[in-house]
Amino acid sequence: MSETKIETTVHGMMAEFTTVDSLLSACRRIRDAGYTKTDAYTPFPVHGIDKALGIKPTALPWICLIAGATGTCIALVMQIWMNSIDYKYIISGKPYISLPAFIPVAFELTILLASFGAFFGMWALNGLPKFSNPMFTDPRFDRATDDRFFLYVDASDERYDPSGVRNLLADTGSDYINEVVEDDSPKEVPKPVFLIWGLAVAASLVPLICILTMRVTNSSKPRFHVFFDMDFSPSKDAQQVTSLFADNRAMRSDVPGTVARGQMEESLDMLTGIDVEALTMSDPPRVQRLVRAYMLADDEAKAEEKEAVEAAEAAPASVMDTTPWVEKNPLTVDAELLAQGRQQFEIYCSVCHGMDGYGNGLVARRAQSINAPTWVPPASMHQETLYADKYPDGKLFSTISNGIRKMPGYAGQIKLKDRWAIVAYVRALQKSQNASMDLVPESEKAAVEAAVADVKAELKRQAEEAEKAAAARKQTQS
Amino acid sequence: MSLAIPNGLDNTVERPGERAPLVLGETTYHDITEAVCKVAERPPSKGWIGGFLVAFALLQMLGLLIVYLIYTGVGVWGNRAPIFWGWPIVNFVFWVGIGHAGTLISAILFLFRQEWRTSINRAAEAMTIFAVACAGTFPGIHVGRAWLAFWLAPYPSLNLWMWPQFRSPLLWDVFAVSTYGTVSLLFWYMGMVPDLATFRDRSKNKYRRMAYGILCLGWSGSSRHWMRYEKAYAILAALAAPLVLSVHTIVSFDFAVSQVPGWHTTIFPPYFVAGAIFSGFAMVLTLMVPARKMLNLEKLITIRHLENMCKIILATGSIVGLAYGTEFFIAWYGQVPAEQFAFLNRAFGPYAWAYWTMVSCNVISPQIFWFKKARTTPWIIVVVSIFVNIGMWFERFVIVISSLSRDYLPSAWAYFTPTWVDWGMLIGSFGLFFTLFLLFCRTLPVINMAEVKATLAKQEHMAHLHGHGEEAAEGH
Repeated sequence: MSETKIETTVHGMMAEFTTVDSLLSACRRIRDAGYTKTDAYTPFPVHGIDKALGIKPTALPWICLIAGATGTCIALVMQIWMNSIDYKYIISGKPYISLPAFIPVAFELTILLASFGAFFGMWALNGLPKFSNPMFTDPRFDRATDDRFFLYVDASDERYDPSGVRNLLADTGSDYINEVVEDDSPKEVPKPVFLIWGLAVAASLVPLICILTMRVTNSSKPRFHVFFDMDFSPSKDAQQVTSLFADNRAMRSDVPGTVARGQMEESLDMLTGIDVEALTMSDPPRVQRLVRAYMLADDEAKAEEKEAVEAAEAAPASVMDTTPWVEKNPLTVDAELLAQGRQQFEIYCSVCHGMDGYGNGLVARRAQSINAPTWVPPASMHQETLYADKYPDGKLFSTISNGIRKMPGYAGQIKLKDRWAIVAYVRALQKSQNASMDLVPESEKAAVEAAVADVKAELKRQAEEAEKAAAARKQTQS
Repeated sequence: MSLAIPNGLDNTVERPGERAPLVLGETTYHDITEAVCKVAERPPSKGWIGGFLVAFALLQMLGLLIVYLIYTGVGVWGNRAPIFWGWPIVNFVFWVGIGHAGTLISAILFLFRQEWRTSINRAAEAMTIFAVACAGTFPGIHVGRAWLAFWLAPYPSLNLWMWPQFRSPLLWDVFAVSTYGTVSLLFWYMGMVPDLATFRDRSKNKYRRMAYGILCLGWSGSSRHWMRYEKAYAILAALAAPLVLSVHTIVSFDFAVSQVPGWHTTIFPPYFVAGAIFSGFAMVLTLMVPARKMLNLEKLITIRHLENMCKIILATGSIVGLAYGTEFFIAWYGQVPAEQFAFLNRAFGPYAWAYWTMVSCNVISPQIFWFKKARTTPWIIVVVSIFVNIGMWFERFVIVISSLSRDYLPSAWAYFTPTWVDWGMLIGSFGLFFTLFLLFCRTLPVINMAEVKATLAKQEHMAHLHGHGEEAAEGH
C-alpha cells in the first residue's frame, strides 16, 4: 500500500451505488460524519443531493443578470450613437432618439448576452472544459453517465483517512469502493490527430495571408473582380451595335407622333425671331425648312438653313434684310425680365461687349492691347443702326442665337427665354444712355434722382481724393 | 388505484390522482442508454442511407441553384413588379415558423414542468436549429448582392461611412433571427453535453472517444456541476421563452409595419406566433412518428407524447382559424376600402385556390383531433401533420403574394408565377433540412437521456409512494 502511494498520487476514495436512494442516504452519512470535500457523480441531476452533500447555491443568476444588463446598455448606446449622433437618420419625422423603435434590438441583445452569461458562466464556474480528470481512471466510472451513481471523498479533506473512509463507505451499502489515483495516461495528442489539426490550422491561414499580402503590396494589374458589382456598365455609346433591336442600332429615333421634353413648347416665331406669318407669304419653302429644323429637330434642315443664310449674307440684298423679323419681344418686359436679361448679359455678353455695351469688354481691350491680327472688334450696342427701328428685336435675337461675323451663336449655351431677356436688356441699355428724366415715371422719379445724386456725390468725392493725392505727390516731389 | 398498464403500451388513459407513466415497459436506466445510443452506434440501415442520399442530392441542388442565382442575379426567380418578395420570403417565414415548436417544447414546456417534453425536446430543438439554418439561407440570398450581406451588421465600415438603420423592422429581423439561432444552438448544445459524455464513455474506438470527449467538454456528472448546469438550463429556458415569442413577432413586423393592405394589421404578432407553433408541432409530428418507429424508440416516445402534441395542434390550429376570421371582421369594422378589398381579394380573387387550400389544411383538417381515436392513430397524425405543413406554407404564400400582387396601384397589378428556380430552392431547402436531421440521428443523442432518466427516477419514486413500486424497490 505504501509503495503504490509513492508511485501514484491518491486523490481520494470513491464508492459506487446502483440507486438514487442508496446514494442519497450515503451522502447524508458522509455529510453527518463531517466530511466537506465530497462530491457525487450521477447520470442525471438527482434532486435533494445539494442538501445531502451541503452544496452552496451558485452565483450564476447574478452573472446572467449583469450580462443581460450589459446587453441592454450596449444595444441602446449603439443605436443612439449610430442613428442619432454619428449618422443622423430622419425616419417618418420621428425624433432622432426614438426609444420605442430601439426596443426590439435592445431586447434581442439583452437576451443574447444574458444567454452568453448563463452558458459561458456555467462552464467557467464548473471549471470546464477539463479533459483530464482522475475520476476517469477508474474502469467502472464509465457507467457514471449510464446507470451508476458514485460518491467521492477528496483526500485533501481534513478528516480524510483511507481506512476510515473505506469503512464508512462500505457501511453505506456500496459494493465497489476504490481509491482514485492520478491519471498517468500519455498526455501527448495522438500523431494523426496532431497532423490533421496542424494541417487544418495551416490551411486556414492561407486565405488570410493572401488577403494581407494584397493589402500591403502594389499591383499594376487591374482589380480582380470576383463579383462585377455593376462596375462595367452595359450602356451603349453613339453609333454602336446592339442586339436589343431588330435594326441592331443602339441609337434610337423619336417614336413617331411623340414630342420630346423641351420641344414644341414655344412658337416658331419665338424659336427663330422671324415673323413666320409674314415669311409664309414671301418664302414658303423656308418656312417648311424652319419647321423641320426647329420643331422636328431635324439636323439636316438646320444645316441647310445655316448654309442658305451664310450664302445670302454676302449678296447685296441679304436674307438678313429681307427676312420679316419679329418686331416686338414676345415675352412681357418687366423688371424681373430685365434683371434676368442683365444677369445673362453680364455672364455671356459683357466679356466682349462690356458691361455698358460699348464694346469695351475685358477680352476686347486685351485683344486691342496686343493688336491681335484676326480680331474683329465687338459692336457697340449704342450705334443707331442697332436701335430697335433699324435692327428689330427678332433680328437681334437671331444674331445672339446664330452669331454674326466672328461672334459664334449662343443658342447652345443660353436658354431660349434668356436670349429674349438679353434682347430686352440690350434695348434698356440703349435707352439708358441718352434718356431724359421725362421718361421716368412719377413714382420712380425720387428714387432715380436720389441715385443720380449718390453717383454725383461719389464722383465728386473720388475727384477730390484724386486732387488731394496729386497735391500730396507734388509736395513730396518738391 | 391500480397502475396496471396492459402490454405496457397504453398510457393515454387518464386516471384521477395519478400521473400517467411517460416511460413504458420495465425500463431501467441502462435500457434508456442502450435504446438511444444504439440509434447512432449500429450500422446505418438501408432506409437511412437511401433517405440520406436523396436529401443530400437535394442539398447539392440547392447549392448549385444558389451559385446560379448569385452568378446570374435575382431575375432567375419569379419575383417581378409588384411582387418583389415572392417565394424566398414565403420560404423564410415558413422555416422560421417551423423552428418555433422546438424552443416551445424545450423552454416553455420546461418552465411549465410538462415532463412529457423530455422524450421529444432534443429532436425538436435540433429541428429548430436546422429550420433556422434553412430560414437564414433565404433572406441571405434575397438581398440581391449576397456577397454584401454583411452590410446588415453594424460595423464601422471604411467603404460605406454609414450605419444600419435601426428603425427598420428588417434590421430588427436580422437581430431577432440571429439571436434566436445563437441562443437555440447554445441551449441545444448545453442540453446535449451530458449525453455526449455518455456517448464518450460508451465509445470503443479511440478517435470516436476523443471526438465525443472534446464535444462534451470533459463532463463528469459531478453534482456540483449538475447543480450549476440545471440553474443555467432554467435560466436559458426563461430567456428562450420570451425570445421565441419575440422572433415571430418581429418577423410579423416586417409585414405589419409596412402600409400594404392586408399586412398593416395589429393582429399579426399573436397570429404569427400561434401559426409558428402550429406549423412547428406539425413538423415535429411529421418527423417523430416515422422516426420513433424506425429508431425503435416507441417506449420513450409514447402514444401519450403524440397525443399531447395533437392537442396543441388542435388548439393552435383553432387560434389560427380565429385569426383568419378576425382579419375579415377588422377589415369590415375598420371601413378602410383598401383593406376590405385586400381580404375579399384573398378569398375570392385570383388566389382563392391558395386561400381555400390554406383554410382547409389549417382550420378544417386538425378538427379531426377532437376524436381520441385520431389523436392516437399514428398514420392519421402523419397525414394531418403533413396537411398542416402544406397549409402553413400556403398561409405565408397568401399573405406575401396576394397582398403584393394587388395593392394601391391597379395599373401595376400582376399575377405571380414561380420559376423552376423557385421550385428547386423550396425543394432544396427540404434537402438541407433532412440532410442535417439525418446526420443528427446518426451522430448525436436523439433523445435527452439524462432528462428521461430523471423522469424515470421520479416516476419510480411516485410509484413507490403509491405502494406499487415493488419492482423499483427490489433495487435496494
